[in-house]
Amino acid sequence: MKKQLDRREFVKIGGLVTAGTAVGVGLPLLPLYRASATGEVADRSGKRWGMVINVGKCKDGCTACVDACRKENNVPLHGDPKIDIHWIRKAKISRRVENASEISAPLLCNHCDDPPCALVCPVQATYKRKDGIVIVDKHRCIGCRYCLIACPYNMRMFNFKSNHEWHNETYPTRAHGVSESCQFCAHRLDQGMQPACVEACKKEGGGAMVFGDLNDSSSKVAKVVASRSVRALREDLGTNPKVFYIGL
Amino acid sequence: MKIEFAPLEGKSPQFYLFMLVLFGVAGAGLFATYLMYTQGLHITGMSNRVPWGISIVMLIYYIGLSAGSLVLSAMSALFGRKEFKPFARIAALLAMLLLVGALLSMILDWGKPDRVFVPFMYFNFVSMFSINGILYSTYIVICFVYLLAMFAGKEKLVGVIALIAVIWAIGVHSGTGAIFGFVSRELYESPLLPPSFITAALSSGTALMIILLQLLFRYTERPFDQRYVKELSRLLAVFILVVAYFLFVENAFRAYNIGHREAAWFFLFGGSHSMVFWVGLIGMGIVVPALILFTPGTKNSIKMINVAAILHVIGVLCERYIIVIPGQLHPTDILPNMNVESVALDGAIVSYSISFLEVVQALGVAAIVAIVFMLGLRVFAMLPTEALMEDEAS
Repeated sequence: MKKQLDRREFVKIGGLVTAGTAVGVGLPLLPLYRASATGEVADRSGKRWGMVINVGKCKDGCTACVDACRKENNVPLHGDPKIDIHWIRKAKISRRVENASEISAPLLCNHCDDPPCALVCPVQATYKRKDGIVIVDKHRCIGCRYCLIACPYNMRMFNFKSNHEWHNETYPTRAHGVSESCQFCAHRLDQGMQPACVEACKKEGGGAMVFGDLNDSSSKVAKVVASRSVRALREDLGTNPKVFYIGL
Repeated sequence: MKIEFAPLEGKSPQFYLFMLVLFGVAGAGLFATYLMYTQGLHITGMSNRVPWGISIVMLIYYIGLSAGSLVLSAMSALFGRKEFKPFARIAALLAMLLLVGALLSMILDWGKPDRVFVPFMYFNFVSMFSINGILYSTYIVICFVYLLAMFAGKEKLVGVIALIAVIWAIGVHSGTGAIFGFVSRELYESPLLPPSFITAALSSGTALMIILLQLLFRYTERPFDQRYVKELSRLLAVFILVVAYFLFVENAFRAYNIGHREAAWFFLFGGSHSMVFWVGLIGMGIVVPALILFTPGTKNSIKMINVAAILHVIGVLCERYIIVIPGQLHPTDILPNMNVESVALDGAIVSYSISFLEVVQALGVAAIVAIVFMLGLRVFAMLPTEALMEDEAS
């Protein structure tokens, strides 16, 4: 009988010691958790990056945005259309009627508010940042290619081959075996710059792209989205893209 | 009736030769994987528009085949069909190993198979791949415990685990169907895919058991009652009809629904995959086996039943191909009613040709499964010394 009580007491004391240690170690960590949740990224978390493309201003045959993107992000071109990687590309679009006129517009990752690619990623390598950018952690991606299957816009690309063309030495190249797509030049946004394609379109192209914070109602992009007739790709799917088009 | 189990003797030159061939194929498969791993997947037939190839076809094929084994194994413990008890052990072993084959196909297909532990560290509980990863690996454990219970001779425990295994299997097969069915692509999206996947799993698995049991008993020269084949063929006949029904409903829906009509047309008549559908699946997999198994003249002939079973096993492989591939060849509709053309092959119908390396890899995985299966039979008392049905009259 006495032995049993002893054991119970032992469990009690042991439990208290364990709980005490956990709280003691845990408490100092709490501010760190709060910092990561609110503090450190507070300057960015309020933003929701978005883009409007005025198709009427996009010049046929102009590839300024595509070229700038390739250079900025070292996007691999292998010379084989089946495995070439495109973060942004120019598409020829026409209605399925006779003698339809052809318009030209860039297509890029829509940075959906409800991204199907992140939904299916088994390891959460693809995720949505607080500022709405959909991005891949290439060090975590296992290369299962489910995101390529799930993206209804054909924007996900896989590195079938390694790439070592190093146009921009401040940005990494990548090894084969992981997937990727446009990430709104997150590294440039972090430095207060605009995405490379937007900058190039303004300088060398028709100035068709407007980029900014959709949460800031005074920003140009938010004003355009609110005031003009814009549409996004396949809005019926409920993915809520953050890339909008005028005149498509 | 007391059932005696004994390991394979495995000392004949044929056995060693067979194992040698299997090791050779497995080695070749691993070498193909090594090439893909070091050089990148561009050496396969896959591309950005067709990112899933033969490995994914084989993955879901293996998952399906395991269903038949489990049903056969659970027959005696759950459904009171004591005459099937002799096969409970080998069937459970095979169910487990086919799952291992499925997981292996999945992992070797990754661009980064060396990151095999990453999914254990970061789950995404809404990803069908994560959910299936958990379902598959726990299923393997359940089958293993099931085998242990059988070897320990704990009848009650065996019954309980058999029930758990059957319920778990429903999850495993539904989850596999959902990999495709729950994705919004015109030829994937379908709530019917999980249940239709289960039926094709049951039919192909049963057909595989019909063939495998006869082969095993013939080559070990152990007595085998041909009436087992007839019993199983009755099951197979019913399963095939259900598979055909699901196929009909799914395609009728797509053909009727205006939004899916163009994709349905592409699926049924749009290229070489349509041949796989009509000749491989409908012809070889369904019509011929169904005719054999329902015609009074042929349904009792062991030879004809074997023909039907072999054709159906191939037919369901075609069905798995049809689930995975055409849905990728057909473009996603970025802008409905518009023609879209770009360097990224938007809006274009693309092609996929099976590459040699993918086939070698798939055969390698099959060989690994076969090696472990044979070693299992060789080391443990899995196979009964005889499988004879008791006559009801006696």
